[in-house]
Amino acid sequence: MAASKPEKRPEERPTGLVWKPLTTAARQFAKSFVRPSTILYPYERLEDPKFREKVAVESGRPIGVGEIWDNYRGVHALNIATCISCNLCAFSCPDLCIDMVTVPGGDPKHPKKCPQIDYGKCSYCGFCSDACPEGCLTMTTHYELSTPKRSEMVYSPQRLFENYQHKLPMNPIRLARPANEDAILLDAPLCIGCNACARDCPTNCITMLDVAKPTAKPGEKLPRRIWKEPVVNDSDCVRCGTCISVCPKECLFWGTHK
Amino acid sequence: MWVNMGPQHPMTHGLWNLKVRIDGEIIVDADPEMGYLHRGIEKISEDRHYNEVVTLMDRTCYVAGLSWETLYITAAEAALHIEVPERARWIRMLTDELQRIGSHVMWYAAFVQDIGLMTPFLYGMRDRDLILDLFQSFTGARMTYEYNRVGGVRNDLPNGFTDRARKVMDWLMPRFDEYDALCLGSDIFHRRCDDLGRLSATECIDLGITGPMLRSAGLARDLRKDRPYHRYDQVDFDVATATAGDVTARYLVRMEELRQSVRIVRQCLDWLDKHPGSVLAQELPRWLGAPYAPVGAEGYLLKRRYPSGTGFSAVEEPHGEAQAYVVNTGGEHPYRVKFRSPVFANMSGAKSYLVGYHVADIPPIMGSVDICVGEVDR
Repeated sequence: MAASKPEKRPEERPTGLVWKPLTTAARQFAKSFVRPSTILYPYERLEDPKFREKVAVESGRPIGVGEIWDNYRGVHALNIATCISCNLCAFSCPDLCIDMVTVPGGDPKHPKKCPQIDYGKCSYCGFCSDACPEGCLTMTTHYELSTPKRSEMVYSPQRLFENYQHKLPMNPIRLARPANEDAILLDAPLCIGCNACARDCPTNCITMLDVAKPTAKPGEKLPRRIWKEPVVNDSDCVRCGTCISVCPKECLFWGTHK
Repeated sequence: MWVNMGPQHPMTHGLWNLKVRIDGEIIVDADPEMGYLHRGIEKISEDRHYNEVVTLMDRTCYVAGLSWETLYITAAEAALHIEVPERARWIRMLTDELQRIGSHVMWYAAFVQDIGLMTPFLYGMRDRDLILDLFQSFTGARMTYEYNRVGGVRNDLPNGFTDRARKVMDWLMPRFDEYDALCLGSDIFHRRCDDLGRLSATECIDLGITGPMLRSAGLARDLRKDRPYHRYDQVDFDVATATAGDVTARYLVRMEELRQSVRIVRQCLDWLDKHPGSVLAQELPRWLGAPYAPVGAEGYLLKRRYPSGTGFSAVEEPHGEAQAYVVNTGGEHPYRVKFRSPVFANMSGAKSYLVGYHVADIPPIMGSVDICVGEVDR
């Protein structure tokens, strides 16, 4: 299905010699009344819907050029108030550009940690906002990041919170959780009841429940404290894995309930 | 005398060096040197989650990012034994074809500039922008899309997308005629491109040359017909071929492919209008979902029950036949990822289609190969 080459070239056709340059000139002259595709960027902005409409009409194109849609992946916005310090954004980052830094608001024993993003490394893949279980880290349509200093590319949580407060249009897409997601399971014989998982759980979905203690043999010293085991509330759990990483005995693991 | 053309090249956007040995004005030997843009993507992939490799795929070929995403993700899904929803397959086919239009229009813009025509360059870039707009409306980015996920695609098409895409297709079709008028109607074009860089079909097969270069030599080899992936067996299109095997023939094949792609896109849009549904498989293990929580002690990971497997996929990318091979040993990272870049083979055969022509013929000939160095070096 090849398109056929023209039979004769313009210089071989006597009429073509006259008409072709004329029609070309006429067409090009007509184009001088059409708006050029060039956009004078800092002065003309595509975020402005009126300007976009103007461009679309004047250039005769079917849709506006370079429109910034709501799901554009630009600078992040962080709502510090709802952030639960679950680390999932940092875990999901392929470029390792997210650091969890301490922000005021937590208690001294368990400081609140929120993401700090290095835009010198960020590839704007959006995995962090996909991973955020609370929807507090989202991406906005803001894209102007030029700065004379490299250190200014690192956005602290407070600066990301400013983006949130400015109410920039945010990416509305949230990923649904997989239907058969794994849960936190306990290898009960290994557990020493140390409470580390329940203490560090960002959603407080782990409760330490009293369990039936194995009866000690006669003459054996009983453990002094009451024997406890973590029980995970699966509906509240965000699957961040903090409990697994803090467990000193490696007795928590991912799996499916039998 | 050996002449180095490159590594800073007038005709490509990446770095590569074409060494040509000349006798006066005639080329007697050619030796393309690549590797300047090597980033070790295959090795980096071994240290990433299956989904995170998608971010690298956009960086292989920046004009055909979505084609490479679907290439990798189809192989990964085969390795992980994951079924993909029907709608996601059609969306992937739609994105592949839109990407082909974007890539070919970009090629047109770059190619005509190589042979000295400036106006078509601006026309090509202008029209590619519409395709980028369409991509941006559902992926959220203009070049690095990160749209595919293991088990489907990240999000569904937004409301009103199909109408917008149809408008763009209606607008593009007459533009292709305009391209032809500008090039095929121009005497400069014919004098610079006719009977240049001739390759026969047998030579192409010997050198592993695929894609529009092979089809321009007269062989109707197209993976979309010969080994249908996605849902290409359910759409109606023709394979574009030409017989001459020269630079003009490659131009004609690509222009015809643009029109065929518009045809496929229209059929995809019709199907997608009629069949709403889920775009991401729900039966995924947690560690393949978006958040990659730590899996704890290494022993627990290795005890996991996920079956191992290997996956292979071959895709008719805008430049030719791209292939991917993924080995899954049951862990959370792929054990090995291998890609076959079509441009690597197309470019390596430079000697066979350059020797005997003049030095001034190099830009049109190498331009007609449609080189994307990011894809060659990976």
